Amino acid sequence: MKKPIRSLTACLLIILMAIPVFGLADQQPTKLTLYEGPKTMRTSGDAVVTVNGYDLFVYDVMVNHEHIWNANTLPTTTPMTYFDFEGTARIRIEMPGLPQAVESAVVQPYSWGIEPEVKDGVVSFLITEPGQYTVVFNGNVNKALHIFANPLETDVPDPDDPDVFYIGPGEWVIDAIALQDNQTLYLSGGAVLHSIISVANANNVKIRGRGIIDGSDYPAWNQAGSYARVPIDLNHSKNVTVEGIIIVNSNCWNLNSYSSKNVAIDNVKIISGRQNGDGFTFQSCTNHLVTNCFARTWDDSLVIKNYSGSTKGITFKNIQVWTDLAQSMEIGYETDKGMTLDPEITEVLFEDVTVLYNFHKPIISIHNSDDAFVHGIVYRNIVVENAFMQGDNGNNKELIEMTLQNSSWSTVRDEFGSIDNVLIDGLTVINTPEGKVPRSRMSGIGEDNMITNVTLKNVKILGQPITTLKDMKLSIDEYCDGIVIE
Amino acid sequence: MKRLMCLILALLLLAPCLAFCEEEEEIETIVTILPAPEQTKAERPPCFPDPADDYIPLPESANLAQGKPALSGKHADVYVIKNVNDGKTDTYWESLGCPAEVLFDLQGTFSVSTVAVCLNPSSIWEPRIQEIAVQVSLNGENFTEVAAPAKYQFDAATGNRIRIDFGAAQAAFVKVIFTLNSASRSQGAQAAEICIFE
Repeated sequence: MKKPIRSLTACLLIILMAIPVFGLADQQPTKLTLYEGPKTMRTSGDAVVTVNGYDLFVYDVMVNHEHIWNANTLPTTTPMTYFDFEGTARIRIEMPGLPQAVESAVVQPYSWGIEPEVKDGVVSFLITEPGQYTVVFNGNVNKALHIFANPLETDVPDPDDPDVFYIGPGEWVIDAIALQDNQTLYLSGGAVLHSIISVANANNVKIRGRGIIDGSDYPAWNQAGSYARVPIDLNHSKNVTVEGIIIVNSNCWNLNSYSSKNVAIDNVKIISGRQNGDGFTFQSCTNHLVTNCFARTWDDSLVIKNYSGSTKGITFKNIQVWTDLAQSMEIGYETDKGMTLDPEITEVLFEDVTVLYNFHKPIISIHNSDDAFVHGIVYRNIVVENAFMQGDNGNNKELIEMTLQNSSWSTVRDEFGSIDNVLIDGLTVINTPEGKVPRSRMSGIGEDNMITNVTLKNVKILGQPITTLKDMKLSIDEYCDGIVIE
Repeated sequence: MKRLMCLILALLLLAPCLAFCEEEEEIETIVTILPAPEQTKAERPPCFPDPADDYIPLPESANLAQGKPALSGKHADVYVIKNVNDGKTDTYWESLGCPAEVLFDLQGTFSVSTVAVCLNPSSIWEPRIQEIAVQVSLNGENFTEVAAPAKYQFDAATGNRIRIDFGAAQAAFVKVIFTLNSASRSQGAQAAEICIFE
């Protein structure tokens, strides 16, 4: 009597085990939106990428592996591709542009937890969440592939709306686009736009889509006869949203906001490789929210300065950064370029920022090089996957650097400000050169110009919790007070 | 018998599971592909018609200023005086503050009746007002005012350029004097090109 019961139990177990399998089979089909590249352009010869068996158009975009300032630097290229999806996507990659066959591959950020399969030089892996994925081959960042897997678009603007400028797929060129009150620029996936977009003294403006703003038509801004052509430039504007687009090959800064307020930037991807190719740069701005963005830059990646007044209420959240030159999260150096009364930088939050690589200068930096009061600055859950700062001739290669000082960027040279109330809560460094803890430093300049009340907690470097300033290799001078590590 | 039935049942249940594993490359997908238009070169987006038809017209005669010696005071940043008559509107001269003046040596005597001041026609250049006057001279020392200071509106919709017409005057030297610029990011005079016509 017992045997049939045991057998039935086994059957039930098998049935229970099978239910999840059938559950998978019952999943909704993946929704995938792909964009043909312009007929005037060719897909990259360096990378061949498919998603769920469909070919992707791969763009070669400028990056720069020279990790020291060079006014006449020449960029190289790396492959980049994008699509929109919901569901499950199998990415398949071949890299004919590499000098050797692919034998290993890593998908970053590591927090995705993806272990790609590499077989016969072909890399494949599954993704289930929209986001930015970077694939590094054979342990070398050369020709790292950037994949921007966007969420599906919703509420695409009506091309017939008189307040909408609708740019469809294809390659387009126009000297500049100036947006005014209540206007929307929609840049469709598949579009490559050679232009710059200005939002000056305007209210309620949207820039959105999946397309690319490409600055490759213009020589680097500092070359003879050229000038800075910022791809997106907000100036004294308010209530602006920028969503979904990609900015590449800029000849200078990338997404700039100057004396503007109430700006929301979401899912914007920036890759730059030329002089002063800063990523998201805000000067004297108020209430800016940057979410789900990516910046691989040949100059500071995330930047806050004061050019004509104070800064208040800036949040960067869920951002991926790859800094080939300069700093990853920079406040300064200019903190009062406009020489205003009582300049401040306050209520700034960097949260859930993953630094894929930094090859040059500090990850976290406050360089108060004028006379501003910099206070109320929070860094929360910062993950540095590869802290490879080489600095300039051995200098400026700290993990964290906070200073009050004159510099070549100073405007106010005879007065100084202060830095107060800074919290770094959650800082994880995974890899460093030679497996050593990088140094950090804080330096005030006088009894009236100090760095005070800086708290570090939940710091882990190379797998080890850091609970002392000594272990942190954090040097402070006599003009620092209340520097605490918990 | 019951054990056999259980085994068959289990195999029946497992078979689709194994098949599923073998076919993991096959992900059911609803794909939308946005096609690219036929193009042979980058084009102007159709939603931005070319505004050139609305530009302020300039005389068709030769620009007497182009390439001639031009002098000014201090310039801002990299915006040097040679940009003011290099024939290109994507380079520009900007003075270090106002007032500022540009002196042209026409290298000959001409009957001049129009001076045009052009900025970059790009719409990225916000509308602005500059106050400008024109003086002429035969010897480079004694100047006569042919156009009194007046405010001129620069607007990308009209090509970001203005023209100053005056009664024909003999001139070997022309001085263009700027006393105001309303641009939000500049305190100096700005000109991509200054053109002088008979």
